Parts: sequence; C-alpha cells; structure tokens
Amino acid sequence: MAEFVGAFAASHAPLIARDWDKLSATSREIITSDFRELGRRLAAAKPDAMVILSPDHWTNFFLDNLPSICIGVGEEHEGPPEPFMKNFPRPIPGHAALGQHIAATAMKDDFEPSISHRMALDHGFCIPLQKMELPKLPRIVPIAVNDLEPPMPSIKRCFAWGKLLAKAIASYPENIRVAIFATGGLSHSIGEPTMGAIDEAFDRDCIKAFQNGAEGPLTALLDERMEAAGNGTHEVRNWVIAHAAAGSRGFDLIDYRNMPEVYVGCGWASWSAA
Amino acid sequence: MTDYWLSKFIYDLQQPGAVPEYRADRQKVIARYPALAPEVVQALMNDDVAFLAPRVNAYLLRYYFGFAGMSDEKFLAALHAMQPGAAQEKKAGEANHG
Repeated sequence: MAEFVGAFAASHAPLIARDWDKLSATSREIITSDFRELGRRLAAAKPDAMVILSPDHWTNFFLDNLPSICIGVGEEHEGPPEPFMKNFPRPIPGHAALGQHIAATAMKDDFEPSISHRMALDHGFCIPLQKMELPKLPRIVPIAVNDLEPPMPSIKRCFAWGKLLAKAIASYPENIRVAIFATGGLSHSIGEPTMGAIDEAFDRDCIKAFQNGAEGPLTALLDERMEAAGNGTHEVRNWVIAHAAAGSRGFDLIDYRNMPEVYVGCGWASWSAA
Repeated sequence: MTDYWLSKFIYDLQQPGAVPEYRADRQKVIARYPALAPEVVQALMNDDVAFLAPRVNAYLLRYYFGFAGMSDEKFLAALHAMQPGAAQEKKAGEANHG
C-alpha cells in the first residue's frame, strides 16, 4: 500500500518569479534559503508521487466552467503559461493511477470533484517546484482548489477533503511514497483597493493555530478573519487540506516573512508523517 | 455584479499573441466582443480602474492592466484612490488586533 511521507506548504507570490532580478538581495536570500530548506525536507521524504494543492489562476477554468475542486488524473500536464515561467521544464509528469484512485475514493465517499486528464499548471503550482531545486521531480497529482471566485469551499469542507486525501493515499494499492504540497497564502490582497496590505497579525495567529493543530480554533479563526485579510488569503484553504491530511497534528514552521516587495505574507512549513 | 463579457475579454487576452496585438490596436481587439457594453469599452480605452473593478474578478482586473501595459505603481495608485487610506488603515488595524 502507498505510504504518506509528509506534507509541505509554501507561498507562491508570482513576483518571486516575474521580478526576481528586481527584488532586494535580502529578499532573494530569504526566499532562496527557505525554499531550499523546504526542498531539503521534501527530498528527504523521498516521495515517488506528490499531490499538489493550488488555486487555478484563471488558467484552466473560467466563469463558464468553474469547479470547486478539480483532480488532475493525466499521465502528464502542461507547464505554466505565464511568460515569466517559460523556462520551467515541460510537460510535467503526472501520476494518473493515483489521481484516478483519489477521484474514485472521493466519489465513493460522497464527494463530487471535477477531473482533468491534462491540466495546465500555472505559477501557483510551479513556483514552489522551481524554487525548491529538487534533484528529481516526483510524479504529480495536481488538485486545483477554487480560492479565487466565490462561492469557495468552506473551511469545514477543506478539512474533510484533507481527511479524504489521507484515506485515498492509505488505500492506494501500489507501494509508493506520497507527499502532499499546499501552495498559496498567507495574507495578501490582489487587485483590490487594499492591494499591497499584508495582515501580519492574522498571519501570525494563523501560524499559531496551525502549530497548535486543533481543528476548532483554526476553523473559527479562518471563518472569522480570512475574508478581511485580503482576497489572496483564501489560498490558506490549501494549507488546511494539507493540515487535515497530515492528521491535524500541527506543523513545523520553517519561516514567515512579511514581504511587501512581493505583496504577500510568505510562509514555509512542513508536517511530519507521524 | 460580474460582467461576463468583460471577464471573457480579459480571460482571452491570456492567449499567445493577444497582448502585443491589443497593445498595438485596442479597438481592433475590442471589436471582436460586440457584447461589451459601450460604457465598458469606454472604460477600457480610458484605463478606468475604478469603473472596471466592481465588474470583474480582482485577479482578472490585475491581469488586464498588466496586459494593457500599466505599471504596478500606477495600478496600485488607482486602486488605492478608490478607497483612500484603506490599505494603510488595514495595516494599522492589523497592528492593533488582539
């Protein structure tokens, strides 16, 4: 049977890629160091496959077809379409059998995800993959979570999705090692009158709640304050799914930085497998 | 209220080659979307951030003004002018929270 080998999370501010050469040396050093540490931890877990949770930034989906959750079940996926990501290696290898198993397990348990046999993985999926400098990219099962356009999945439902993912991985019949990676967040505001504001108090309270692990306080915090912390903050949903998949035991924070240069409160963290 | 055709117009600008074409001749590209309301077309031609903002997802709004060639500094200034002090007040409020 498959083995869950850990969960990981990082922010994916597009300016990390688009404006890399314009960032201060200090910011570049922090971002490089934190992604390398995250990559070191991920590589040490030796995953054969990795489920990546990210929003779709109007790349695959639009208002005429907007799933809440879409599972990538293909053998390979398209690389990021953004010009500033043109050097990302492509196509991206998928783990079709694991993706299909997750989708089938979800349906059996009364979840109704959308599926895609070939997704385009935008900067949300690919910036962390690029910046972690992994020696070898595991086969990917991308899961797009609607964090951009209301209505979005509730925090309660994200916890349920995390538990479902854990169940699906544990019941996958092949002997492979599977990691989960959540991208996005923490607080940021994009294209709103508050763009540029970072809610550091929210971010630090959010981090404490993730560290403590308990579902009730984390749910209450996000239900009460996530909306006001900026529209980009909705991406914390992906962290919640990873958190629940890892058993809601609390994560190990690698670093948090309020980074106005990239408009995002940036976090890096990992959850152990046991 | 979401304006579907404005959203669709911006979404389609992500297609390869669309941005250079739009920057070279906005009216030519806009003309392919006859369902766009005249006042929306006017706002597109005038780079009217405040008019377009309530009609489209905020991410698409950001993409659009990037595609149109507006600098981040100018875009942020236009957004902040919609609610003067909102970003600063938000930061101040955050510092006092808890």
